[in-house]
Amino acid sequence: MHEYSMTTMIVEAVLEEARRHGAEKVLEVELAIGEFTFLNPEQVEFWYKVLSERESLLKGSKLKIEMRKGSVRCLNCGYEGNITLLDDPAYHMIVPTLLCPECGGTVKIVSGRECTIKRIKLLGR
Amino acid sequence: MNPGMKDVVKAEEGEVYDVELEADILESNRRIAEENRSLLRTYNVTAVDVMGPTGTGKTTLIEGMIRLLKGRFRIAVLKGDLTTTIDAETIIRHGVEAVPINTGKECHLDANLVRKALQKLRLEDLDLIFIENVGNLICPAEFPLGSEKRVVVVSVTEGPYTIVKHPFIFMEADVIVINKIDLAEAMGVDVDKLRADAEKINPRAKVVPTNCRSGEGVEEVVKALGLM
Repeated sequence: MHEYSMTTMIVEAVLEEARRHGAEKVLEVELAIGEFTFLNPEQVEFWYKVLSERESLLKGSKLKIEMRKGSVRCLNCGYEGNITLLDDPAYHMIVPTLLCPECGGTVKIVSGRECTIKRIKLLGR
Repeated sequence: MNPGMKDVVKAEEGEVYDVELEADILESNRRIAEENRSLLRTYNVTAVDVMGPTGTGKTTLIEGMIRLLKGRFRIAVLKGDLTTTIDAETIIRHGVEAVPINTGKECHLDANLVRKALQKLRLEDLDLIFIENVGNLICPAEFPLGSEKRVVVVSVTEGPYTIVKHPFIFMEADVIVINKIDLAEAMGVDVDKLRADAEKINPRAKVVPTNCRSGEGVEEVVKALGLM
């Protein structure tokens, strides 16, 4: 939904880092997107292509996106792992729940909200 | 210059090298949200974030809560919208302060906009701030603002599947309001089913059916927020 503004921030952060290193070109950007963000990787890729074309430092660079699974922790029994998915026959769709699969308590999301620039590959000047 | 900071090591001409960044783009919003939270705490102000789709009754709910709480708390409202100040004008008729926040094209409020809006208020003269988010059931979940409690409002006129189709925002909620229950029959929507969906996705949240126009259920929302 807000892939455009997020990708703008990614591009700015990469440009800043590349300039700080006095690089000639950015060759590649590696991004990790968490399961619980609202970012669609295809739309991020689309905007990256559009925005990177405008910047000579970024022109032609590749964007690699890794989708990262998130995790939850139970506030009651300490269960840690994937979020529980309920297959709801009434809707024929899978609905995530904060219900703990072990004890029926409530879990909290502990990871999977990130949109992290992991590393960038630069060409020296 | 900090003597601990060495010169940046630069690559030779034509050399390809990796820079480990590990920079989370969403982290900056979360950091500002934490700053907002501690600022509000310093002044002993409780902030409640109200989220939900356009036309679901967020402003009407806030008006109802103001009516109930005006005598007890000094209240202000931050009102997010893409454009216009229509809702903020509705709010100030209740004799409370309102700060309109126009996001332009952005689909949600972020912590930085809220920080700027808070600077327009005298926090020492306030007890309670309602932050009405942009009408949207997706993006606001990604951007915490620094509020103490989060309310998600949906209504029967959005149909029977609103909650299961947007599970993640309901996971962020402390209170889930199902509004316009007076129209449930006309819409052919089962309020109990919506309630069951909400409870299934987020067993921690309190679910309150309301008719915000008549005021039915608003007191229960206020109680669920711990304000009464």
